[in-house]
Amino acid sequence: MDYQLIILIAMLAMFVLGVIKLKLPAGVSLMLAGVVGALVGGEGLPLRHLVEGAFGFFEPILIIAVGMIFMELLKSRGVLASISVGSLKAFHRFPTLLIIALAVFVMFPGTMTGLATMSILTTGALALPLLIAMGMPKLSAGSLVVMLSVCGEVAPPICVPAMIIGGGVDMPYIGLAKPLFLASFPIAIILSLVYRFKYLGRVDLDEITRKLEFGEEKLQSRLDFIPLVFVIVYMVGETMLHGYFIHLGIPLIFAIGILMIVGISIFTGGGVSIFKVSGAGMKKAMPVMAILAGVGIFLEILTLTGVRGYLTVNALFLPDALKYSIAMMMPFLGSAYGSASIIGVPLLYVFIGKNELVVTSGLVLMASLGDLMPPPSLLCSYAAQMLKEKNHFKILRRSLWPIIFALIFGLLILIFATQIANIIL
Amino acid sequence: MTLEKKHISAAIILIAAAVISIITGRQFLAKHYPETFYPSPGLTRTGKLSDYFSGLQGTENDSRVYFFEGEEEGSTVLLLGGTHPNEAASGLVAVLVLENVEVTVGRLIVIPRANRSGFTVNDPMEAHPQYYSIPTPNGERRFKYGSRLTSPLDQWPDPLVYSHRPSGQRLSGFETRNLNRAYPGRPDGSLTEKTAYGIVQLIKKENVNVAFDLHEAAPEIPIINAIVYHEKAEEVALNAIFELEMEGISVSPELSPSNFHGLSHREWGDYTDVYPFLMETSNPIQGRLRGETSAELIVEGVSPEYRMALESGALQIAYKETGEPIERRVARHVTCFRRVIEAYNQLGNKPVILENLPEYEDILQNGVGAYIVAGK
Repeated sequence: MDYQLIILIAMLAMFVLGVIKLKLPAGVSLMLAGVVGALVGGEGLPLRHLVEGAFGFFEPILIIAVGMIFMELLKSRGVLASISVGSLKAFHRFPTLLIIALAVFVMFPGTMTGLATMSILTTGALALPLLIAMGMPKLSAGSLVVMLSVCGEVAPPICVPAMIIGGGVDMPYIGLAKPLFLASFPIAIILSLVYRFKYLGRVDLDEITRKLEFGEEKLQSRLDFIPLVFVIVYMVGETMLHGYFIHLGIPLIFAIGILMIVGISIFTGGGVSIFKVSGAGMKKAMPVMAILAGVGIFLEILTLTGVRGYLTVNALFLPDALKYSIAMMMPFLGSAYGSASIIGVPLLYVFIGKNELVVTSGLVLMASLGDLMPPPSLLCSYAAQMLKEKNHFKILRRSLWPIIFALIFGLLILIFATQIANIIL
Repeated sequence: MTLEKKHISAAIILIAAAVISIITGRQFLAKHYPETFYPSPGLTRTGKLSDYFSGLQGTENDSRVYFFEGEEEGSTVLLLGGTHPNEAASGLVAVLVLENVEVTVGRLIVIPRANRSGFTVNDPMEAHPQYYSIPTPNGERRFKYGSRLTSPLDQWPDPLVYSHRPSGQRLSGFETRNLNRAYPGRPDGSLTEKTAYGIVQLIKKENVNVAFDLHEAAPEIPIINAIVYHEKAEEVALNAIFELEMEGISVSPELSPSNFHGLSHREWGDYTDVYPFLMETSNPIQGRLRGETSAELIVEGVSPEYRMALESGALQIAYKETGEPIERRVARHVTCFRRVIEAYNQLGNKPVILENLPEYEDILQNGVGAYIVAGK
């Protein structure tokens, strides 16, 4: 047996042992798996690499921390419930239109930022209570929202995984709008319609409004909308109209939003317990942040010991059918950006000869599903926290057929890339 | 107050974190100390990038600029190393030239560490070594191995999308810290853009005629073992490549794409009068197919995984069965650099004559260490 395979097995065994037998958090188990990998690989205890790896997802970790506090504060001021009720009143007569509008609404922050996390934390969080109040089962609502967040990440105009793959092969981010549109919007619309006809019947406005307007989350003041508008406008503006917006970065934009909420609460009354809410937000965010640090360590050790290269190179020896299978494995890296970088770039070379723009869009779709998958299951974890569901794997399980559908969709894009390019480009 | 189990666990974790922080913090901090170079006797003066753009003063990227001026007037050549500090041969060639060259006609300007900030960090999840060593007759000399990008400690946070100015071209956000996506640069931009702006100002103020930006790339990248040139420098490039082919050194000619912005070979040519050339060699440690990641891989360039990939025939890979050792990569760069200047001279331009630089075979036979000063 190749020694890289032994290292990989040891790391996976440690992870499984940590999670199942020792009942350790997934993040800690990943870190321990990294340590075991380094020891088995003859690298000793490479502290520098362990620390460096833990910083691999530093910015997403910061975004999660402040984003979660921001959303908790908005919730405590009744903003989320208020928006849900407002949307419902506007569209309740047309449930099909309502769900398509909701789909585009959930995708919007992702399309503008290239980050599925933004969709789930902002518009996704607004859509969830609405869907549930309309009669969709809790887990199904979570499943639809996480899938729409993924579609938002893939959709143009901004698709960071496509930029990552392009950056790896010196391909400029030009001409990808149509292929990325094809890889995102049809899936979002089809899934929304399936969920609508499967779970939603007639919309009873009064009953749903009653369900949504629960006491402690009643809107405190109309001014409470200002921080949410500021965060969305600034994030989109910074990306789309960079010449007019000072670059702050998402963590700082959220932090300013938090200060605005606190300021408004002092001004309008109603109060907000910043320490209590921050504590609750951080408690929710901590497991996800630990997983991201753990994944960074895990990947650093895979690279250090040569396991990453071993896996990639062995994929090259596979017959054509299996090369497509490797593409189908992209989600299992558990991170859209990681998958785009580690598997997406070499795969673009493997599929050389097909239209590279369409191939990239197919790969991006498959990679972006990684944000749903373990070890981090990032989007499912967020959705679970919002739904007060302890086991985020339940949302992942409910998303299984949509994931398979999206994977097959991505695979067809890959197989027929040349023909698709002839039609749309 | 009695200590609960959770308090004891928390204390242990905090102490462990503090110990790890101290140990690794020292390692990270050590990368901020500047490297020492030993210029040849031909050095006439030194300057700094801030001499050309004061906005760089006091920043990590106020890189040192070395001047080698001949007694006879001629053209001016700029040699840039370390644009991407994870491309070892780039910085090493600049040091080799710096420590050997004698200029008799014209001028040579060398910036061995174009993006000094990138030399102070490594890319997370790439598991790169912090240093690599080159054996010399008088002992080993250690060089920093860094990140492709400006350190986030000097420029942070990244935008989600990097919009290049003035073209408006969009790239993924981290490319905002890539010096070779920042040209022509901006005086009021990020540190990377300011650095690019400073280099372009140097090219303008020093009336540089020919400029080189040295690089390396992963073996699976299509543009490799190549000279990328701006259209106005095509004749010089093709003549040089013809000479190199005659010597048995295969070099791929690559015309700079007019719609790919921010790169030296495009923007130097568009925004200044210089003839720009970017050169690439094949460096396995940068590739995604590499095996174990170590300092030896930088120097010896041997990766069994790349050999397997080569044998698979699935990819176009610039990797020889014996590996891609630093000697060959440095020898390629030095020889390409020399042949381009010779081609430029032969086309009737004011000449630049550089002496005391080793030939291709010399470097292969004697090693890079024979042409650099041992570390002190």
